[in-house]
Amino acid sequence: MAVIKRVLPTALAIAVGAFVLVSIFLPQLNVTGIFFVDTAIIIAAFALFLGLINLLRVHLRNISNRKPGWPYSIVLIISTFVVLVVGLLAGGPAEPAVQWIFDNVQAPIQAAFSALLVFFLVTAGYRLLRVRSLEAAVMLVVVLLVLAGQVSLGLLPILPEVRDWIVRVPAMAGVRGILLGVALGATLTGLRLLLGLERPYSD
Amino acid sequence: MTAIIGLVLLLLILPILFFLVLRLQSGKISAELRPLPGMEELPGSIGRSAETGQPLHVSVGVGGVGGQVTSETWAGLTVLAQLADEAAACNTPLIVTVADPTVLPLAQDIVRRAYARHGNLAEYDLTQVRFIAPEPTAYAAGVMGLLEREALTSNIMVGAFGDEYLLMGEVGARRQVRQVAGIADPRTLPFAEATADETLVGEEMFAGGAYTSRLPVQVASLLAEDWLRWGAVAAIVILAVVKLVL
Repeated sequence: MAVIKRVLPTALAIAVGAFVLVSIFLPQLNVTGIFFVDTAIIIAAFALFLGLINLLRVHLRNISNRKPGWPYSIVLIISTFVVLVVGLLAGGPAEPAVQWIFDNVQAPIQAAFSALLVFFLVTAGYRLLRVRSLEAAVMLVVVLLVLAGQVSLGLLPILPEVRDWIVRVPAMAGVRGILLGVALGATLTGLRLLLGLERPYSD
Repeated sequence: MTAIIGLVLLLLILPILFFLVLRLQSGKISAELRPLPGMEELPGSIGRSAETGQPLHVSVGVGGVGGQVTSETWAGLTVLAQLADEAAACNTPLIVTVADPTVLPLAQDIVRRAYARHGNLAEYDLTQVRFIAPEPTAYAAGVMGLLEREALTSNIMVGAFGDEYLLMGEVGARRQVRQVAGIADPRTLPFAEATADETLVGEEMFAGGAYTSRLPVQVASLLAEDWLRWGAVAAIVILAVVKLVL
């Protein structure tokens, strides 16, 4: 029984993964490949329901244990049920009532929250430049050059060219190097999973 | 055409991987890995948490499994598996937050199995793994609240993150929580450098399994990555020279 419990999920995962991979290269198998992907999407929708249960469990416990910030948990639970009931009564997330909540509550809060990034950027930049190291010094020089190139007001015509060169050559080279490494790392991670060499879904 | 190139690459990688596994198993090449401060920091974070009795927070990013950032989320889950194992062994409190509901059952299972392996299942609490919100900004707001309210020893964030990383990382830095960030997106990496104590840059975040298990297949995977990178570098140089000459 233990063997079946260990082997079956691995065999299934490898078989389905290999089939979906092969279906990318063989158009004849595409329909079955798409079926597996669609099945995964349906399972993912159930995961959202699990997420809702988990959310309620965590916040109900916060309230019952009077953990710091527990009144916010009450607000969260009430908001969750209000949106859920409105969505169910209105007939779905695309209905005007739900859209109204999104446009007038969620979107402004998210926009306001994202605006905080400006201030966080300044403090993060300050912290980075406060570190007394060679890297921080190089970064300071590059930042000043790029900023000066951006707002040189025609006083030093070479500065915009320097800025363009920094962005186009060393910065782009660094980004491409990182992306190349990430692509290789992601490919090999996928292969390890596909071959069952890495099995986080079973012991 | 792209599919054929992908197939050729896959067929090229497989023999390299198996060749390196065999060489490692026969001891013909060394399994020595270069030190990665970010990876070396992880056991220390468990130690600090065990000493103080205060929890550590692990985030596996705002991505899910099944999308374009699956591999990055997977890297986060690999790090989580290591931390959960050590946390279960030391009976250290661990808080895990996820943004995508597809990751929730996976993360819960990883933590639960870690406790079961150490015969400590009674200590496992379902709410240790928390679903915050599927929207990245809302998720960041939830994690910021957690970082503000809980007395955490460490904040480990490995996975797919966008600009919202800065919101969380900055709160952690302000609260002087020891932070490790593993990020693949070059646009988010400067935020990690500015706020985290240790950063796993790009591909380094995929090395978690090799550093923890040291299994030949994991180490071979890293070596294969190195070989392929050198191949790509050589191809770029040769093509540049050819273009210059012709």
